[in-house]
Amino acid sequence: MAQYRTQVRIIADVLSTAKENNTEGTGVGVTTLLRKGNMSYARFSKLLSELVGSGLLVELDGDKISKYVISQKGIQFLDAYFAFEDFAQSFGLRL
Amino acid sequence: MTTQPDMGLIQNILQFIGVFVSFSIAYVAYRGVRQTESSSLLRLATAFIFLGFGFLIEGLVGLGNLVVLPISTTEVVVGGLLLETTGYFFLAFSHVVDVLISKRLGAALLVFPVITLTSTQLADILSILSFYFVLYGVVETVYSYARTRKPDTLLIAMGLSLIGVGTFFQWLSLLYQYVGVLSLLQIILQEMGLLILFTPVLSFAVGGVKVNGTV
Repeated sequence: MAQYRTQVRIIADVLSTAKENNTEGTGVGVTTLLRKGNMSYARFSKLLSELVGSGLLVELDGDKISKYVISQKGIQFLDAYFAFEDFAQSFGLRL
Repeated sequence: MTTQPDMGLIQNILQFIGVFVSFSIAYVAYRGVRQTESSSLLRLATAFIFLGFGFLIEGLVGLGNLVVLPISTTEVVVGGLLLETTGYFFLAFSHVVDVLISKRLGAALLVFPVITLTSTQLADILSILSFYFVLYGVVETVYSYARTRKPDTLLIAMGLSLIGVGTFFQWLSLLYQYVGVLSLLQIILQEMGLLILFTPVLSFAVGGVKVNGTV
């Protein structure tokens, strides 16, 4: 059965990618984030602007391409998301 | 030997523990709804709000018996049972993705007490419905455990099973004698089940999650 991702699930996926792939501390490119976001570029661009606007992601100024790092607020959001996901799973539910 | 008023007092204390546990779970689930906008958590919160109010009404009715408050009527008890059954309904159907079906069944559940039945028959029906809803919840939770292999999920399935056996005793107590013993057994089993359901709330509290980054 197909499992649909909620908007919050997509946000959590994008933030997780930004967190896990920022190994060198120089940020993560749009292509990497888009791959995990698994959606159209137009829709992803809108989501990215919202995430930067709400302070969950920080856009780094690059020479040619923009790179993104997860903010402290974004890390807090992810922690809370996974805690609630764990809580829901305890009751046998999916978020 | 335990006398009848003693048993009533124990039952009341247990009912109010049930109120506390139910509202605690509902509170965490509600926080989850605000954070994640999850419909599953919304149904879970709704379930425990109904259960909490159900236990509260039953506890207050019991208190009425003890300290002579004018709230001890069969209709109020049936009202409490109806809330409790509705809670179990939402708990069972938290697993169902098709929200439309849930809404229709929920409406049916709210309408059917209008049918002219005696209070005892109503209490009887509500108890057996609760039993089936909890049973459904147990099956779904065990199925979920088979997928995730998460020990907490198995624990919740055990808790729900105890609540299920408790609701079965509740139904039996309406049919047979030894009502006092069966009622006490029912409440003890239900409370044990509820306390097990409280485990995720405890681990949540111990984890100390701070929610700031709402979207």
